Amino acid sequence: MENKIDQTLDCKGLSCPMPMMKLAKALKGLNSGDVLEMLGTDPGTKSDLPKWCDKTGNSIIREDELESGVFRFLILKK
Amino acid sequence: MSEEKKQGVLNDLYKLLFAKHWPVWVGAILAGALNVLMFSISSPWSGSAAYSSWGKNFYKLINLFEFDAAQSILDSKWGMLGIMIVLGSFIAALLSKSFALRIPPVGELIKGFVGGSLMAIGATVGIGCSVGGFFSGVPALSGGAIALTIGLFIGTIVAVKYLFWEMENLPGVSTGKGYSFLGAAEGKGAWQKWTGFVVAVLLLVVAYFYFQTGQNVIAWFIIIGGLLGFISQRSIFCIVRAFREPFMSGDSDGAKGIIAGLLVVLFGFVAIKTMNIGAGDTLLRAREMSFVHNNFWLRGLLGGFVFGLGMTVAGGCAVGTLWRMGEGQIKLWVAALGFLLVSPISSKFIVPWIEGVIPFNMQFKNYLPDYLGYTGAVALVLAILFAWYWFVTWNEKTGKFSKF
Repeated sequence: MENKIDQTLDCKGLSCPMPMMKLAKALKGLNSGDVLEMLGTDPGTKSDLPKWCDKTGNSIIREDELESGVFRFLILKK
Repeated sequence: MSEEKKQGVLNDLYKLLFAKHWPVWVGAILAGALNVLMFSISSPWSGSAAYSSWGKNFYKLINLFEFDAAQSILDSKWGMLGIMIVLGSFIAALLSKSFALRIPPVGELIKGFVGGSLMAIGATVGIGCSVGGFFSGVPALSGGAIALTIGLFIGTIVAVKYLFWEMENLPGVSTGKGYSFLGAAEGKGAWQKWTGFVVAVLLLVVAYFYFQTGQNVIAWFIIIGGLLGFISQRSIFCIVRAFREPFMSGDSDGAKGIIAGLLVVLFGFVAIKTMNIGAGDTLLRAREMSFVHNNFWLRGLLGGFVFGLGMTVAGGCAVGTLWRMGEGQIKLWVAALGFLLVSPISSKFIVPWIEGVIPFNMQFKNYLPDYLGYTGAVALVLAILFAWYWFVTWNEKTGKFSKF
């Protein structure tokens, strides 16, 4: 089943710390229960994101590897 | 042993090394041990010297600014070390199938160039960067390195504030089309693993050639450079993260990792200095005064501040820039370009002016044991590290200084 997506954040090509900064800002603008789709390419962000979600109470509901080193996270806002 | 068991062992080893990033403290302790090894065979680790070597050779090539006497990169242990850190990271990225050419929006490329240029000015003015001035300088018990570190902190905090301001007021800088090429999707990209093995073998062949021609120090620096790049990429060993994250996400792992690495370097360097291990005139205190520069205190503080601004805007310190180049981050390639182009110009034109402006008593060699004894100097550094550890732990719990 396809998840609902309320906003998409494209961080392709961006390196640390910009993806995490943009993600935090984008989530601030969403309501509880909303889902943010994040596309990125920075390997560091793949490690930082789960840790940050653990700390802030947001949750990763799906993680995919797409073509050419692009990853995709679906994050559910607390 | 059955074939199945053998495969299991190799698979387990592969997963251990490449499935996930290593904890920062693992990478920092290994990098610290390699720094001690570098000092024992020649000199403590310097990051900015690589860019300086590359830049001087570039200007020599195009016959500009009179750098004719610059040592060839092939004969420079620093020039070769820098290249090998990039290659070591390239190998690690390929073997973990995480290599890709990552091209950010134009605004980010400009920030990379500006950040790299600021790092060049900071490193030449302050006589040291995040590696030589901090990761080597503080354990070398240099008072100037502590001033430089304070500058790095202030510069980082100011630049973090700028980045948040930029996101609110100039969001277009980091927005736009980004691209990724040559990356591996899940279950694909076996070519990356094979290329990684081939590059690793080539690196060892280069080192072998240097050993064969009697250039043992450079040969060792080639091997150590490869290891440093490999370790840094796998553990996200980056000094700007350690300084920056407490003021962004509040994460303290980077800082705690660097502190663990610094402890290794501290005791290793003190042993080398007090026992005068390695070549050097004892009367001239050649080993003791290694990496103690005439930058106490204003010069170190000023240079550290400018470097702190640069590394935060670029998103990579002296070593973080090198290993992210190996990972395929084009922003950091541009940062390195800014660093290498500006470094020789700053040495030639900005540094002489700064030396003339700053009073002598604010740019002299301060060797902490000369004032506090070795016990006092080591105790001071340990106290600073403990205070930093306490701060980042408390801040992570309370979120007092973190922004998100």
